Amino acid sequence: MITLTHYLVLAAILFAISVFGIFMNRKNLIVLLMAIELMLLAVNMNFIAFSQFLGDTAGQVFVFFILTVAAAESAIGLAILVVLFRGLRSIDVEDLDSLKG
Amino acid sequence: MNIMTWSSLNAGVATPEIFLLCATCAILLIDVFLSDAKRHISYVLTLAALVATGCLLVAGYSLQPQLAFNGMFIADPLASLSKLGMVVGVILMLVYGRGYAAVRGLFRGELFTLTLCALLGMMVMASAVNFVVLYVGLELLSLSLYALVALQRTSSRSTEAAMKYFILGALASGLLLYGMSMVYGATQSLDVFVIAQKIAHDEANRLLTVFGIVFIVTGLGFKLGAVPFHMWAPDVYDGAPTLVSQLIGSAPKVAAFAFIMRILAQALEGFAFDWRSMLMVLAVLSLVIGNVTAIAQVNIKRMFAYSTISHMGFLLLGIMAATPGGYAAAFFYAMTYMLTAAAGFGLIMLLSREGFEADQIADFRGLNKRSPWFAAMMLIVMFSMAGIPVFIGFFAKLAIIQALVGLGLVWLAVIAVLMSVIGAFYYLRVVKVMYFEDPTDTAPIAAGADAKLVLSVNCLLLLVLGMAPDRLLTALTTALQFSLHPGL
Amino acid sequence: MTEVIFYVFAAILLFAGLRVVTAKNPVHAALYLVLSFFNGAALWMLMQAEFLAVSLIVVYVGAVMVLFLFVVMMLDINFEELRKGFWKYVPVAGTVAVVMAVEMALILSHRAAQIEGAGLVDHPAGYNNAKVLGQLIYTEYFLPFQLAAVLLLVGMIAAIALTLRKRKNTKYINPANQIQVKRNDRVKIVSMPAEERPSVEAPKADDGQA
Repeated sequence: MITLTHYLVLAAILFAISVFGIFMNRKNLIVLLMAIELMLLAVNMNFIAFSQFLGDTAGQVFVFFILTVAAAESAIGLAILVVLFRGLRSIDVEDLDSLKG
Repeated sequence: MNIMTWSSLNAGVATPEIFLLCATCAILLIDVFLSDAKRHISYVLTLAALVATGCLLVAGYSLQPQLAFNGMFIADPLASLSKLGMVVGVILMLVYGRGYAAVRGLFRGELFTLTLCALLGMMVMASAVNFVVLYVGLELLSLSLYALVALQRTSSRSTEAAMKYFILGALASGLLLYGMSMVYGATQSLDVFVIAQKIAHDEANRLLTVFGIVFIVTGLGFKLGAVPFHMWAPDVYDGAPTLVSQLIGSAPKVAAFAFIMRILAQALEGFAFDWRSMLMVLAVLSLVIGNVTAIAQVNIKRMFAYSTISHMGFLLLGIMAATPGGYAAAFFYAMTYMLTAAAGFGLIMLLSREGFEADQIADFRGLNKRSPWFAAMMLIVMFSMAGIPVFIGFFAKLAIIQALVGLGLVWLAVIAVLMSVIGAFYYLRVVKVMYFEDPTDTAPIAAGADAKLVLSVNCLLLLVLGMAPDRLLTALTTALQFSLHPGL
Repeated sequence: MTEVIFYVFAAILLFAGLRVVTAKNPVHAALYLVLSFFNGAALWMLMQAEFLAVSLIVVYVGAVMVLFLFVVMMLDINFEELRKGFWKYVPVAGTVAVVMAVEMALILSHRAAQIEGAGLVDHPAGYNNAKVLGQLIYTEYFLPFQLAAVLLLVGMIAAIALTLRKRKNTKYINPANQIQVKRNDRVKIVSMPAEERPSVEAPKADDGQA
């Protein structure tokens, strides 16, 4: 029997993987953006699990909005990345060092 | 199925937002047909839209909260007053930044549209009483700000700042959402009032709620720039074009206050015991790290960033008190800090000109000899930030400390006072540089008369409000009384 | 049966997720992300959230991931350079992640975190997940729906404002201008008095030593 807890724990592990990815990919901005997408997938999994197991549709509506927002967010993130690459010819986070103090 | 009509939406309550949105779309379209030489038309239209929004807010002000859009939107005094503050903050940013933007190729239609969209996001944040709307409003603000920071494409510094801001902002949203999902699971509702009710009737799962609160507070900490989630703040303030730094440093702080009020003080009021201790840690760390690090800064924008961190510490202390007095003090703090920060960044832009950023503290050397009037204005801003009596910043800090002492948290009050004293050191250093050193930069101040006039009024307001702080504080306290327990 | 499906998809999802953040090549990472979204969608389907499962595939796999792939391929990145020192962080990041995952799992599976009466509802025949969601979105959630539209507008404005640029080095011709050209535009005859040819200075003798 698959219960609510199964889905919640799965989402929690996915969340931890994305945090791991954010730690690990300190050099590679594009994978960093992908790790954030994974984090949102974990959150969406939570909302859908709660929504379906507790019989309240509102959670699914929230997921719908998260998907919309995340699409716009990745568009802007990638636009910034492209501008950054034109300026620096690199997407290495360690090259982002002109701001220090 | 219930039929939805215009009147059942009660959309009239959101007139300022609807007007602002229509005006934004109109400006977006008009701007397309304007040549660069006529760009000032969009600027004037933007200011007109902002002033009209402000007037609508004042006209629609009522102490009785009103719900709209199927209970997702509330117009209560807390929302109306904070929106008014945000509108003022955005107007100040545009007036101070006009000349600055013009010489840096930023005076484009996107600047106006994105700023207006950011304002719309902030207004929604202040009025939202549903997690979905709160999230969408927050993202509307954040996405506009990411783009605004990166708007100066030729500057690799600002693009870099935008990237850092984006990554940490997206991470913060992820954490906040994870927390919201847990609270949703525990209470089975996304509505602020229903959540509060379920918690009050002990129908919520306690463990899940507390687990969610941890993530929510972390996400809020990131968004506010509270220590230990502050690393983006100095880089973004420093790298962004100064007018965008001003926008980030002023109006969104008021929006953040309202946002925190909706989530922590209204929805999760029953768990105040749990989030109070988390906020306390954030507040103390922010006060200590913010003030101590600010001393080492030579760049005034970075110094403002660290000083903002410490001011956010004060704000969090007020919220942490979790009493009507504490909330009112924090509201007072957010509003007055918004005015002070706007003036501070305004002065940096005043001294900047084509090809020159007055972003070093050394650039303020001998300002008294170049322009005694603006040296005095900067003096007011610095004294107000440092919390020296007579100026408004002092009363803001005093109100917070009174709230803490009232709760018997004397040790926290002592830390706050000690850190303010340390903070006074770096503010006074700027004053010393202005009055007791010789100018290295003798160019005349290039800013326009409008910016100079508004800036002077803004700075003098810090002094005038300091003469009668009680009236503002009483007004905000009443507003919060009617907002937090509306008995709906 | 459901158990088997759940564990298979969950395992693939976690494996793909792990590969996203550790893949050598961002193109592989993007493809693994597609795989994890796909498995995520399958799990949502298992929870009977069909509409969102389909939108996840349409929106994410169809649009967002293609955008990611475009950007990865558009930027000329030296991936080897980015891999340097990658495994240096593994001990710390790995420990943090494992501890975090275990703690979160323990909290969520604790008895106090269980919600009574949680279980998938058997919907009557003719139940339409998309219809239910649509009715909510277009009526009750009217305000966030409108705001989401503004948000997409902001995304559009921002993406255009940030990346659109006029290329200065393109050499294009306008035929209309070419046709309209007059003789006077091409050649201008200037009357000048005749000048004497300036005398050329003799090269200096010590040129080589200077």
